[in-house]
Amino acid sequence: MKILVCVKQVLDPDGPIRIDAAGQGIEAMPGALFRMNRFDEFALEEALRIREKFPGTRIDALSAGPERAARTVRKALEMGADEGIHFVLGDECYRTPFEIASLIGTFASDKHYDLILTGIMAEDDMQGQVGPMLAEILGYPWATSVMAVKLKDNGDRPHFPETIEVERELEGGRREAFELTLPVLLTLQSGINRPRYPALSHVLRARSQALMTIPLSQGQEKAPVADPAPRERIVALAEPAPPKTGMILSGSPMEKAEKLLLILQERALL
Amino acid sequence: MNDEILVIAELFDGRVLPVTYELIAFARAIAAGDSGPVRIMLPGMDVQAAARGLADETGMEVVALEGDALDPYNAEAWMTALVPWLAVQKPRYVCIPHTSRGCDFAPGLAICLSAACITAVESFRRQDGVISFTRSIFNGKIRMHVAPLTDVTVLSVLPGVFNAAEESQGRPGSSSLPGIKQDGHFIPHRSTGHVEVLKIQFRPEKIQALGVIPAATQDLDLALADVIVSAGRGIGAEENLELIRRIAGLFPKSAVGCSRAVCDLGWLEHKHQVGLTGKTVAPKLYIACGISGAVQHIAGMRGSRFILAINKDPRAAIFQVADAGIVEDLTTFIPLVLEKAGDLKFS
Repeated sequence: MKILVCVKQVLDPDGPIRIDAAGQGIEAMPGALFRMNRFDEFALEEALRIREKFPGTRIDALSAGPERAARTVRKALEMGADEGIHFVLGDECYRTPFEIASLIGTFASDKHYDLILTGIMAEDDMQGQVGPMLAEILGYPWATSVMAVKLKDNGDRPHFPETIEVERELEGGRREAFELTLPVLLTLQSGINRPRYPALSHVLRARSQALMTIPLSQGQEKAPVADPAPRERIVALAEPAPPKTGMILSGSPMEKAEKLLLILQERALL
Repeated sequence: MNDEILVIAELFDGRVLPVTYELIAFARAIAAGDSGPVRIMLPGMDVQAAARGLADETGMEVVALEGDALDPYNAEAWMTALVPWLAVQKPRYVCIPHTSRGCDFAPGLAICLSAACITAVESFRRQDGVISFTRSIFNGKIRMHVAPLTDVTVLSVLPGVFNAAEESQGRPGSSSLPGIKQDGHFIPHRSTGHVEVLKIQFRPEKIQALGVIPAATQDLDLALADVIVSAGRGIGAEENLELIRRIAGLFPKSAVGCSRAVCDLGWLEHKHQVGLTGKTVAPKLYIACGISGAVQHIAGMRGSRFILAINKDPRAAIFQVADAGIVEDLTTFIPLVLEKAGDLKFS
């Protein structure tokens, strides 16, 4: 089997970030951290588990991003991916999910992946679109928000499953099950597994392994999407208004604790 | 292109999900400006009665899209049923609930229609004749205003967030907005809308729906608690859950909740999870400890009567919805509160 895992490098939302001067992008402040999107770690982990069950499976990890994203591709190798592919975007500009899905679609259209996995969404722009868009571009069936995966062994060709059973997460803890015919694209919900720490042997191998780098311009002419120009634009980014109704308690920690208990007593909650 | 706005309704167990009514209010708020009529589409297997009910309630035109393969939900069947009709109609906006199923088919639909796609929409604004849609990014720390560049736009609208009354304020013609009762349902409309029935025969080849698996039975009932103390990733370590439990122990009818991240880390079971994919709660007091405040979490607890947030990051989005906020490291702050609370009880 050939598996493609799409991983994105994101700016840690819990770190120091701010809106850039043009109001169109987010920039890292000192101490900010670029790392692999957590949701994509679940996708990569799931691919590694499938390879353990189906020996001979090959896992390609792909990221589209500026130069710095090479670090995240390498992280995927450290976790155990066989090949690292870096679609090099020449600048820090925001790309819409459609543009990214078109780019990856260009790359993947002649690679015959049996399974494409990615996270349910990116932690930075939280769109959740690239996965299902890529599936539609490639003509693959898809399932999003997947919480369980079971590849069905095929009697004649044991290492080549033909269908996959999945459970999608619904609201309120319910799930719905589907059987899909390969090739398939899945986006994985967090919590489906526990992503592993890189093994030392993989870390050492990843250090010396070359990444496959693809410049942005390459291969546009054979793109499966006729016009991959963006279909939305960012009008503005804004910080939320400072809390209106809320009040931030002031004072020393001890004073805050006292104020807090006073509020709870006043409201007859204690 | 036309100026029509199409709302795709979602049914579950034959009932129209409440988010459908929010979508209708959202669509009408957009239409109150410069867009055309709003229509509702209801895909499913045997939906004519539900479509009739929607048309009676709203006075709007409803298209019942019927096919054996459309219920239970099946992405392949839904795409096959929706795309040809939408490609001809070319509505200006296609509004889809930002539910698990809505999120599953909205992006693929946009590809098939060469449409813009904007997900998790919370509201819209009209500025210099341009309509842009507002959504949260970076765990709610930043808001993004996005405008489509295409004739057709697919929108997924976050449940429980859009406030119809807010949008219509100060705008003439806002009387065209539907009256909405507290529970999100429409005041019955005097005139009734027309129902059009479309039938589609299709057998999916690549996706077979195997059915819905009910949620595991849960002994803990977050819905019954007066006070919920919730933990987020910001509590830092699993052992700090003990602090959360001790805070909860201060109140008689209390329960421990958590954000999705805490479940994913395996620190608490899913039955504790509050948010879009967990429980929706509305206790008298909600104490959010180390919760960043992503919209997915807030959607599940914003109805709480009093929200108290403790987080060491002063820019955490949870403070946007909190009635009182404390910027402190909770591993040192909570012991102080517990100590002070102990003084109160024995004094």
